[in-house]
Formats: sequence, structure tokens, C-alpha cells
Amino acid sequence: MAEALTQKRETGEADIRAVAADWIARLQAPDLDAAQAADFDAWLSAEPAHARAYDAALAVTLELEAAAPRISEALADEPAPRRAGRRGWLIAGGLAAAGAIALAVMPYDVLAPTKTETYVTAKGEHRRLKLADGSTIEMNAGSRLSVTLERGERRVVLPEGEAVFDVAADKSRPFLISAGDRTVRVVGTRFDVRHRGHALSVAVERGVVEVRPADGAPGRAWRLRPGQRLDASEGRPAVQFSAVDPAEAESWRAGRLIFRDQPLGEVVADLNQQFDKPIVLDDPVLAATRVSGVLVLDDQAAVLRRLALLAPLKALPSGKGVVLRTDPAAKP
Amino acid sequence: MADAPKPSATDDPLLAAYLERRANLVRFLAARAGSLAAAEDLAQELYLKLAGRERAQDIGNPTALLYRMALNLMLDRARGEARAAARDSAWRQTAHAQVAGIDVADEPAADDAAAAAQRLRQLVTAVRELPPQAGRAFRLHKLDGLSHAETARVMGLSVKAVEKHVSAALKALTAKLGPRLNS
Repeated sequence: MAEALTQKRETGEADIRAVAADWIARLQAPDLDAAQAADFDAWLSAEPAHARAYDAALAVTLELEAAAPRISEALADEPAPRRAGRRGWLIAGGLAAAGAIALAVMPYDVLAPTKTETYVTAKGEHRRLKLADGSTIEMNAGSRLSVTLERGERRVVLPEGEAVFDVAADKSRPFLISAGDRTVRVVGTRFDVRHRGHALSVAVERGVVEVRPADGAPGRAWRLRPGQRLDASEGRPAVQFSAVDPAEAESWRAGRLIFRDQPLGEVVADLNQQFDKPIVLDDPVLAATRVSGVLVLDDQAAVLRRLALLAPLKALPSGKGVVLRTDPAAKP
Repeated sequence: MADAPKPSATDDPLLAAYLERRANLVRFLAARAGSLAAAEDLAQELYLKLAGRERAQDIGNPTALLYRMALNLMLDRARGEARAAARDSAWRQTAHAQVAGIDVADEPAADDAAAAAQRLRQLVTAVRELPPQAGRAFRLHKLDGLSHAETARVMGLSVKAVEKHVSAALKALTAKLGPRLNS
């Protein structure tokens, strides 16, 4: 890509603008490396026109990024994009942007491109979504997902977090959930999907759920039945199965955490999704200590006091958060 | 900024490269960090790092090393912050949607309101008029905050194709919204 960019013939202004836009997209890509950045520097310095074109593209990019929430809001209230230049739509967008007037109902557009909605929960926030197909999604704290309902399939991407899915039955439209390098496929059922970091777990309450590697990822497909739970790690083909009471997997909905024989590190990671003050657990031995119990999630100090009854630890205030250390006095 | 040690640039090729390329570095950092202010902060942090480091004997390509250091600096800093910020802003956005579009907290000052509303209309119109695929990639990635990989998954495209669409969208948006260029 970088070579292609530097070798591209830049005769006209339009070409330079195109290359400037290419560079912004490249600089913002996650796989940018230092050699490409140095190529960018060379391109930028080669001609004053390059820097001008880049600065213009950068200014527009930064402005759009800063205004993204307001643009989304204005666009969300209208149906699919139509042909440009229709004055009525322009005015409608402006009013919505000003936040003053609710939009009138727009005609249903059969050719509308599919819309994707993104939902996010903050720390300690739970959220219940009702989808247009009748399915519901209950999101745990610190979660992010996007939903796309198409005619042939229903698709959810869960980059981070946990949710209980209650999927409305529709055989002609499978419900697919992408989490890391695996895809969960269902027709109509109720189950919990949790994707934190590189770890995925799926627990089924009702119906049949299939978990398969995403295209190109290692491993094979598995079918889960009610009361079964699958645990997988990104990049590893092997998975683990266990029996589960689905009510336990979903216990966060009732404001408590239930864990059985789980490493303390995982429990702390869960708690860190519920409270703003970070809990720090540096000690690998303590993090690997297995704990079992039920924690009611009321306030953080109380939760940590209860946690100290379940594991040999003490909580010490530190900076902006709390540090967990092994409590020598509590050692068996 | 606070007084930093000021070694002589002439006998330090890396520092010399930094001083020569500072404007380019800020442009680079702004694209990745999301604002010029953040880019200036990062450039300053990079300078302090350079000034305080052990001088290496032989630096092959000072420009590449400079950009590698800049990338690492951003990785260190951005990881946690960006995530939290994106989560907060998206959450605020959804929370606002629940109060019937009346956004009290973000209300601009009265004299700026008309200009801001007009500019916002221009932005919205320009995004709405993007070609379908470029528009969808732009909305998912830039407005909804999905990563390149997530956008690719939702659209059923490769990550490279997403980057192409985003670039095409930026080109069209710059032509429409950017300053007139006279070259």
C-alpha cells in the first residue's frame, strides 16, 4: 500500500487529493508501521501541494470525528440515504440536528440499505434492547455490540462484553453473533454470550446454539444444548465444555455475580466492569487463586469486604483505585 | 511547557530529525490521536523522551526511528483512554436518544448556535450523499466507532476494502467540506 501510494502518479490536484485521503485512511489503520509512517513523511515533504492537500483532508476528518455523535443522531432519525439534492430531506436533517423538533414519519423504502445500530453500556450500566424482529438483548455493563437486521440474516457483532440473547424464532433468518474469531449461530433460543478480552463463553438456557470458528479461524463447530456451556480462547482451536445452570450465567442481571471455582483474576475483571474505581490485581499467584461464591453488587467497598471473606486477600486504597494483596494473616 | 533539558541538536541526529520534522509529526499524530491538541501534547511528550534518553551511537534511519517511537508512545497512551472515551461518548449518545432528542448539556452558546447548526447540516448532508458502500463504511467506522475489523465483518468485506471505502469517503467529504485548494 505504501509503495503504491508513493509511486502513484500525481499530476493533477484531484490525484493529490486522492492520495491525501489514502494517507489519512492508512495512518488511521491499526496495522500501520513505522516504515509506512516514514514514507508518509517523505510524501508530505516532497511538494507543498501535498501538505496542503493533506491538511485539508485532516481538517475535515477531525471535524467529522468530533461531530460524529451529532451527525449520527441526525442521520439516525431518517431512513436510508436517497438521491442527493432533495430539499425536503435537507431541512429535515437540519431540524433533527438542532434537536428541536421530532421528525415526521418517513415513507418506508424497500430498497433501503441495511442499517446497523451500535449500543454501548458504561460501567455499572445494564441495558435492555428490543429488536425489530421481536428478539431482546440484555447487555451487561462495559459492553459494546452492533446489530444489523437483514432480510436473509440477523447479525450481531460483540467486540467486548456480555449479553443475554432471547432470539425470536425465524427459521429463514438465522441469528449470528460474531465474537472474536468465533461465530454463534442460532434460530430461536435464549442464551448468554460473554466476550471479554480474548475469552469467549456461551451458556445456553433454551434451544440449540451453534458455535463455529469465523472464516479462516482454527477449530471446529460445536452444538450446545440447554445447560451446556462452552469456553473458548481466541486463536486456540480447543474449547472446554461444562455444565451450567443458565440462571447463574445470567446472574449479573439480578445485580449479583455467582462464580464457581473461578480464578480471582476473572472475578476482578468482572467487578471492574461494574465499578468506576479500578481494582488492581498484580499478584499472579493471587490472581490464579480459585474462588467460589456469590457477590451482591451494591457498593464497591462492601463487595470487596465480602470478597476478602472468600479469598486470602486484603484491599488497600491506592491512588485512584484499590489494590488487592495477599493477606498473610488469612493464609490457611 | 515545563523547562526541558535542551541538548544541542547538532550532535544528536535523532533530535535534529525531530526538530526538522516536528510539523509533519504533528500532522501524523493528529490523524491517529483525533485532534491537533492531543497531537501537540504527544509531540511534546516525544521531545521529552528524546531529550532524556541515552544517546545511541549509530542510528540507521532517524526518520523511521522517530515515527516508531511516536507510534509506541501512542500505543502506550491511547490503549485504555480511547476505549473509555469511546464508551463514554457512545453511552452519552444513546442516553441522549432516550430523552427525545432534547440535548441540554451540549447546547452551544447562543451566538454560535446558528453557525454551528448550519455547519452541522453541511456535515450531515455530505455524509448522507456519499456513495452507498463508502457511506456505509464511513458511518460504521467513523460514526458508530466500529474498528476496521468489525466494520469489515459487518459489511462482509476485507479489512483492506474497508480502508479503501473509508479513503474514498474522506476524499469526497474533503472535496465537499474542505477549504478550496489553489495549487
